Amino acid sequence: MLWLLVGVPLLAGAVVWSAERWTRVAARRLVLGAFAVAGLLATLAVALWAAATDASAAHTVGGGLRLLADVAGPAAVIAVLVPVVGAPIVAYAAAQEPLDGLGRLLGLLTAFVGVMELLVVAADWLTLTVAFELTTGLSWALIAHEWRRTSAARAAAVAFNATRFGGLGLFLAAGASYAATGSLAFSDLPGVAGGLLDVLVAGVVLACAAKAAQLPFAPWLFAAMAGPTPVSALLHSSTMVAAGAYVLIRLQPALDRVAWFAPVVIAVGLVTAVAAGAVALLQAHAKRLLAASTSAQYGLMFVAVGAGYPAVAALHLVVHALVKAALFLAAGVAIRAVSSPMLGRMRLRRSLPATAALAAVASLGLAAVPPLGGGWSKEAIVAAAGGEAAWLALAVVVAGALSAAYATRFQLLAFGGSGGSGPPPPRPPLRTPTSTEQAAIGLLVAGSAALGLLWWRPAHELAARALGGEVPAGEPWQLAASLTVTVLAVYGVWALDRRRRLGHVGTEGRSAAAGAWLGLPAATRHLVVTPALASAAAVARFDDHVVEGGVRLVGAGARRTAGWLADGVEPRLDDVVAAVAAAGQALASASERGAERAVDGAVAAVAWLVDRAGADARRSHTGMVHHQFVVIAAGVVVVVAAVALGR
Amino acid sequence: MLTTAVLAPLAGALALVGLRVGERAARWLAVAVSLVPLAAFLAAWAAFDSRSAEQFQLVTAVEWLPTVGVGYRVGVDGVALAVVGVTTVLFTAVIAFPADTRGRARPWYAWLLFLEGVCLGLFVALDLIVFYVFFDLSLVGMYFLISRWGHAGAEAAALKFFLYTLLGSLALLIGMIGLALAMDPITFDMRELIAAQPLAGAGHAVLVLVALLLGLGIKTPVVPFHTWLPAAHVEAPAPASALLAGVLLKMGAFGMIRIPLAMMRETFAAVAPVLGVVAVVSILYGAFVALGQGDIKRRIAYTSVTHMGYTVLGIAAAGGLLAGAEEARALALTGATIEMVAHGLITGALFLITGSLWERTADYAMDAYGGLADRVPRLTAATVVAAFASLGLPGLVGFVAEFQIFVGAFAVYPVLAAVGLLGVLVTAALFLQLLQRVFLGERSGYWDGLRDLDAAEQGSLGVLLALTVVLGVAPAPLLDVVDAGSTLLLGAAG
Repeated sequence: MLWLLVGVPLLAGAVVWSAERWTRVAARRLVLGAFAVAGLLATLAVALWAAATDASAAHTVGGGLRLLADVAGPAAVIAVLVPVVGAPIVAYAAAQEPLDGLGRLLGLLTAFVGVMELLVVAADWLTLTVAFELTTGLSWALIAHEWRRTSAARAAAVAFNATRFGGLGLFLAAGASYAATGSLAFSDLPGVAGGLLDVLVAGVVLACAAKAAQLPFAPWLFAAMAGPTPVSALLHSSTMVAAGAYVLIRLQPALDRVAWFAPVVIAVGLVTAVAAGAVALLQAHAKRLLAASTSAQYGLMFVAVGAGYPAVAALHLVVHALVKAALFLAAGVAIRAVSSPMLGRMRLRRSLPATAALAAVASLGLAAVPPLGGGWSKEAIVAAAGGEAAWLALAVVVAGALSAAYATRFQLLAFGGSGGSGPPPPRPPLRTPTSTEQAAIGLLVAGSAALGLLWWRPAHELAARALGGEVPAGEPWQLAASLTVTVLAVYGVWALDRRRRLGHVGTEGRSAAAGAWLGLPAATRHLVVTPALASAAAVARFDDHVVEGGVRLVGAGARRTAGWLADGVEPRLDDVVAAVAAAGQALASASERGAERAVDGAVAAVAWLVDRAGADARRSHTGMVHHQFVVIAAGVVVVVAAVALGR
Repeated sequence: MLTTAVLAPLAGALALVGLRVGERAARWLAVAVSLVPLAAFLAAWAAFDSRSAEQFQLVTAVEWLPTVGVGYRVGVDGVALAVVGVTTVLFTAVIAFPADTRGRARPWYAWLLFLEGVCLGLFVALDLIVFYVFFDLSLVGMYFLISRWGHAGAEAAALKFFLYTLLGSLALLIGMIGLALAMDPITFDMRELIAAQPLAGAGHAVLVLVALLLGLGIKTPVVPFHTWLPAAHVEAPAPASALLAGVLLKMGAFGMIRIPLAMMRETFAAVAPVLGVVAVVSILYGAFVALGQGDIKRRIAYTSVTHMGYTVLGIAAAGGLLAGAEEARALALTGATIEMVAHGLITGALFLITGSLWERTADYAMDAYGGLADRVPRLTAATVVAAFASLGLPGLVGFVAEFQIFVGAFAVYPVLAAVGLLGVLVTAALFLQLLQRVFLGERSGYWDGLRDLDAAEQGSLGVLLALTVVLGVAPAPLLDVVDAGSTLLLGAAG
């Protein structure tokens, strides 16, 4: 029954895609959107049922392989989260995206939820690898949705290759697990030890870092911005990128048995959180700012996992999912309104007051301002880090300050008032959002506001228990320091804006270069992609000229030998034959002539064969087939002779 | 049953030579004849008992040259049955695929049927000489298909293919004779050879093994003996390419499982690390060279080197140990076999797709195209499915094989498996690049008149791609049979 969690959205996706054909254009948005939302609501119902009954399932693939699924640990909560976030996003997409290819877009989005659910409930390496690779494949199709733009197709390939490289880590982990225990089930993970455990952990960390857009893989998320806005909203909040953090959260108890796991994960997460925070602060492109912020927030989750509090990371994942989905959808509204993704042209508070207000709540959540849920989960991460070392808590506070700063910057530039600063506000006609779009954003914002309950101790203890973990007890100075720094950061950006200094950041010069992921995409291009393609071309030439050349050399040698035989030896053979023939003619009677002809014929045949092999392709095949049977015959003769001798 | 599958197409080929029928009639006759082995395969599948402890089933044996122990002996195990299955399906699909026979329809279909009988004969052979005869006859059939119906440089490419693989088959023959001579009394019966492990401990066993692996490796092909492959593929007509890649390459890898792995266990285990390295070199080298190709057909041809590299890696891992890691080695061998099935279906489809492109445009250059997706949606969809299957997306049969091979091989050769995984990444990159350049992006008006796939093309491709999906989602029937075969194969010799 648990497979319904996967099957329902996959089926709904297929129905939505095919429904595009038989719906009238006028009704298409409504029908397709309704199907997609209904499919996800049904998925939600299954998820709630699974969470309530602690369901599990097994499916025999054959050949001794099995697919296993359960809702252990954080799975139940995340399984509910995915359709909760997905439903408003598909509704928004149905209302906003162009009709051309709408069925495909909605179908793939719906199916993506199913694949993510498979990943969430996976309880063995085969299931996890299947789901992980399927998210990679579907993300390619979604990012390349506007396939007529070459840049979109290329960006899709970048995202695919980066996350597939990570996915190879899961193959390694599966191999290590199987080699150690003869099983692929997570329940047998305690049996893995020694060097194989190191390989397993390394594989999982690689896979998760790539998927969760951590350094050095973070830039693929920028490329992914080529996809439509709802795609970004879904990928960044509760699916694709979330998958990286989720797998780490789910497997943390098994992975933490390796000493280097915690330091490595903390280091990757912290460096990404700070670097991506800086990038987001400098980005002038609305969606890219949010994308960098995604990397940064998942970096914080990595820190929490490394510090030994996967439940805190899971709660931050939930809070972030709602906030980030809302912000992407709001950004989509803004981008459509001004027909440009550049933050410098927006400032839409007057034009789109409702969207601006909703976005403000979400931005405050991203900035981790109390009493919103984002504030609580960030403080919990600070406390978790403080359990490791005081400096680590301070480093997380710094990363948090960056979040507060870029969230404020996003809000002011996208949905701030003109305030006398920056370029003049755009003029009508602006495209205003439909009520469906507003409602979708509103639902997500309401959800994220409701998560403010987490500040209440019984609530967050209940949530942590539901996730199968616990919450760290922080120290008062950490909370005080963190809140002070957050407020200062928000104020600082606001003050900067008052002095009309905010709109120019990231549009030119050094800040623009830094905003382009600190030059990492260019570095990747120059250090990985271009050399790989160049070496592929070089190897191809090598193959054509050197390897093939060797073969050709042998061929040429054979031809020359054949020529030598034909020109040098054959005439002499002919002479011999002629001499024999002459002698035979002179001496023999008519009965001897037959034998002489046979010798002559055989010699000529050999010479002819050698000659033709090199020179005349067209007629040689008959010669070669003939040759074949000579060889078979020779083989049989050898065998018979050997038998005869052996007995 | 198996003999019917072998003889029916050979008889059909003879009939086509004798009967004076038109092009359409020839095609339908050939399709009808090719359904006989397919039906025979289904009957064999139904009759095959994957729980039996008997490795070879449905055996027929007739003495031929009793003094030297040669006989007509046929039968199948799980591995052979899977390969026979993909052979019958692919031949029917290819024969039904509309081909430009250049007014010589009868010989075209006759050679196709001849080749089908020969290939099936090889896969069911339980006698080394029968195996060898079919191995060589396959060269003859493919030689004529390439040289008479190929593109401009076909004669030279066909000759190169013929000479190169003939060299391989000579090495194979020497190895076979070496094996048979070690038996007392002398015999070419595979079952006896497997039971006896004739050369175990003998000094020249390595030489015999190397001769066998060289012969089979050229056919597979493994780097550096692969250069006949792209030349043959580029010049061959697309249906012949589909068969060459889909079925004929399997003879090499299948032979490795059937002969050296099964009959020379001890020696094979000693040489397996080298074979594993050759496999990984093939995987990476094939993938990189493929990435460097601008010609669609050459690119697909080189991916065959990569995929056959996966298969050989699985075989090397399966035979790499004499004892221990039994489950992992059986998994690797099952994966190697499934990879043969997967590659047959997928690459067969990919080459048929290049054939459809060539029929319409006479151009294989990737850069000549762009943005075809909305002009030819069915062709695009077929290519996307085939490409993702080839790069190993879950839900398609290629993933099943690759997962088994790498997970199984990791237990025996962890480093080789880890390095080989990079081939999976490069394969993904090269297929995405192909999709992007040919089907996505902006389309020039030049291709406005391009026709989409017609019904016959859709039929052939549809069957192949539907099977990649069905076997990718529900591989149980295939996996159970193959797994039984590989477990017995490794167990019986161990």
